[in-house]
Amino acid sequence: MRQLVASLMLVLLLAGSAAAAGKVYVYNWTEYIPEQVLSRFTEETGIEVVYTTYDSNEAMYAKVKLLGGEGYDVVVPSTYFVNKMRREGLLTPLDRSLLPHFGNLNPAILDKPYDPGNEFSVPYLWGGTGIMVNADYVDPTEVQSWKGLWSEALKGRLLLQNDLREVFGIGLLLKGYSLNDTNPEHIAEVYELLRTLIPSVRVFNSDSPKLAFLGEEVAGGMIWNGEAHMALQEMESLKFVWPREGGILWMDNFVIPKGARNLENAHAFINFMLRPDVAAMCCEEYGYPTPNVSALGLLPDDLRNSPVVFPPDEVVERSEFQNDVGDAILVYEQYWQKLKAGK
Amino acid sequence: MRTTNLFKRLSIGGAALWLTIFAVLPFVLIAGTSFLTRDEGTFVSLRFSLQGYAGIADPVFVEVLRQSLYLASGATLLCLVVGYPFAYTLARWRGRGKAVLLLLVIIPFWTNSLLRTYALVFLLKGKGLVSAVLVWFGIVDQPVSLLYTELAVFIGLVYTLLPFMILPLYASLEKLDNSLLEAARDLGANRLQTFMRVTVPLTMPGIIAGSMMVFLPALGMFYIPDLLGGGKHVIAGNFIKDQFLTARDWPVGSAASVVLTLLMACLLLAYHASSRRVHRHGAQGFDGGKA
Repeated sequence: MRQLVASLMLVLLLAGSAAAAGKVYVYNWTEYIPEQVLSRFTEETGIEVVYTTYDSNEAMYAKVKLLGGEGYDVVVPSTYFVNKMRREGLLTPLDRSLLPHFGNLNPAILDKPYDPGNEFSVPYLWGGTGIMVNADYVDPTEVQSWKGLWSEALKGRLLLQNDLREVFGIGLLLKGYSLNDTNPEHIAEVYELLRTLIPSVRVFNSDSPKLAFLGEEVAGGMIWNGEAHMALQEMESLKFVWPREGGILWMDNFVIPKGARNLENAHAFINFMLRPDVAAMCCEEYGYPTPNVSALGLLPDDLRNSPVVFPPDEVVERSEFQNDVGDAILVYEQYWQKLKAGK
Repeated sequence: MRTTNLFKRLSIGGAALWLTIFAVLPFVLIAGTSFLTRDEGTFVSLRFSLQGYAGIADPVFVEVLRQSLYLASGATLLCLVVGYPFAYTLARWRGRGKAVLLLLVIIPFWTNSLLRTYALVFLLKGKGLVSAVLVWFGIVDQPVSLLYTELAVFIGLVYTLLPFMILPLYASLEKLDNSLLEAARDLGANRLQTFMRVTVPLTMPGIIAGSMMVFLPALGMFYIPDLLGGGKHVIAGNFIKDQFLTARDWPVGSAASVVLTLLMACLLLAYHASSRRVHRHGAQGFDGGKA
């Protein structure tokens, strides 16, 4: 009887603490935090996670902006949107005293121009786009450069991302320009180059490019390293290459929008995500590199040593992170429509 | 009497209110936005401009419209060719199981159309069922992938929209007066003549209604060309979405949307006019027969 009363009280206490601890509204990319991480957070802190997802930075930005930064407590934009949202005053400065695990991050990726001193953002995962081919059809040595996508063997069997920044990235890198070039003449030049690649394209896909590879619908194309990592484990003949001109790098970051109501819970959530065991779990689940140094030791050897998941230093050195291109996006968009409409 | 009146007023008023809030108002907002100026900071600024319309007076948008119209009209034609014989057989069906056949037409609606499109991906891919069956029957020697082709786009559109064609066709074929067909035969018309000169004109309202119900949604179903055609077709729906999200050029996106709405309005007007003509024409022909 006494046990029953005790356990009843415990349940009431837990329920009470859960109610008191409240909620945190997290708005994140689809398939980007494992279910068990979210439930463990609620278990440990009693804070309920209200989780919604988006499939592009653009969709997330439009919503946060229209709501004036209210309605969400934690959002996960890529670097170039952190920059944009920061400049437009859409973000709340972070309280570092509530983020004791911040020190786990690799100092090499902190304090970058998109957010000096990381006043507003905390890196979550990063990654990059490279080339993957099916060695049964295409010799991987042929695609050491982005130029390899023009290979005869890939005619009609090529996959490109359905994303204008990524596709224009190929041409910009080949021409030796920055990924974030805003010069309309350069963009026009790249358009002329890419026009010759479009007839080879079998599919534009950014939802799950690995499926087209695994179904052998395509023999090669551009793909994120995390997606590639998962595909490589399922099919022997697939090979991933970081091209000579460099990969197209991005990084996603936790931020707190200006109008967030649950500031303390938002910090608690970000701090939880910075814990080494949690960061390791996320890295393992999705095959994207974690910037969390303390998590590295917890990863299985094959993952930690994979050049696909963790691009070697010389790859990172010759690669560039995507950044905001401002109004030049209109020029890109115009050429992108032209490219896809085939005129 | 009073209660029926009250009920009538409430239900009509409710529907009118609903349409005002969720159809008229959004359209007014979009039409208004199409005359404003793009603004990087606030999406749009409240200054009148024709930039939106200048933005779509571009060969690219014309090409996008052309591709949309091509896919939508192709799908409509195919639906008509497949749907008419089916609806005809169904309407003339004298055996049992008619209700079951009708139910089979409607059952696909019970599953979300996006999910059904993904199912088609698995059927049409190189390692999929269709390819395996073709190889098994010896029709092709090697597995073929229909996925990411224009054929796949048409298969997807026809599959998704066929019921919208069959149901109005069935309704008008069902109403067809059998004695008119008998009269045609008595007057010496052969089967083809009876079909072309009696059945088709009398079911024209069904043909037009079915075609509209296929054509209009086909213009906007961009997920089908994206998933089954490999995203190689830019149709009006993609164009508008990209203008709003990627380019953040709301005036251009709105202008494109207004043009599309006007195009649909024109088609509906044409439908209205032609169905009135068909009715009058049909009635006249009938009177003439009596006299």
